[in-house]
Amino acid sequence: MDNLDIPQTSASPAIFADGTAGTVTMKGDSYPENSFELFQPLIDWVTAFLKAGQRPLKLELELLYLNTSSIRALMDILDLMEDAHRKGLQVAARWAYEAANERVGQLAEEFKEDCTFPFDIVPKA
Amino acid sequence: MAQPETALDIFALREIFNRERIMLCFNGPITATLIEEIGAALRKHMEGLQESPSAVSDVFSVYIEMTQNIRRYTQNRPDLARETASVFVSRNEEGRYVVSAGNVVETGDGEALVGRVAQLAQLDKDGLKAAFKTQLRQPRDELAGSAGLGLIDMARKAAAPLECSLRPLGDQRAFFSLRVVL
Repeated sequence: MDNLDIPQTSASPAIFADGTAGTVTMKGDSYPENSFELFQPLIDWVTAFLKAGQRPLKLELELLYLNTSSIRALMDILDLMEDAHRKGLQVAARWAYEAANERVGQLAEEFKEDCTFPFDIVPKA
Repeated sequence: MAQPETALDIFALREIFNRERIMLCFNGPITATLIEEIGAALRKHMEGLQESPSAVSDVFSVYIEMTQNIRRYTQNRPDLARETASVFVSRNEEGRYVVSAGNVVETGDGEALVGRVAQLAQLDKDGLKAAFKTQLRQPRDELAGSAGLGLIDMARKAAAPLECSLRPLGDQRAFFSLRVVL
């Protein structure tokens, strides 16, 4: 499967989806006006990768601030992963953040509440 | 030299800003670039004041939700596109940060918003969290491009219920303003 590479801007994160490794990474702030447009290619990519159902998918996050439309888009991605998990596919998420930035940790915890697959939240000193 | 009485008295305006402890304000047609630039300045300014990352994040977040709501609203209503928005970040007597903004709306939309703010004011922290999670899973095709989460998110971050007002302007228009104390 092709990779997806969306470069970072001041208001949107670096997004990289690696079809060979089965990883999706997102880093940085996410508060674009057009979150739905920005994330649609990633949602399509994750949908196709999980539909192929051949390899595990790992979501690696180092997101900082998210506006509410980015929160919605990320929830949609996690819901796709949750569905796949319930069908027996191997999926996992890991969210690393700076420990001083408590709000990021709290947001990650809230996402995790709705996921039954492995979801590590890793505060960094 | 004496000034004509009609001249804009910037000093007097500045006095008002100082008295109201307004640290940052904008009044004019708002664009995506402006929202970003002012937001970046706001963050830097607060970091310079040695505010905690959580405080910076909360104020920035409410500022972004409020301004992006106004942008989305005007984009969907070409007849209001040339209206200006007013945005203020200030501190109250207790030193709490206050984010306020106002814009011209169709009266019916304004009334619906006032109702929504009143509804949210009835909810406690757990109720707001539940409302947020319910809205988070609304089907996309019922959303018209907006997640519909902004007001709930602001209410969750606020230290007190959101305050708003609607001032009739005639011709089915009104000025809606929203104030969030953090």
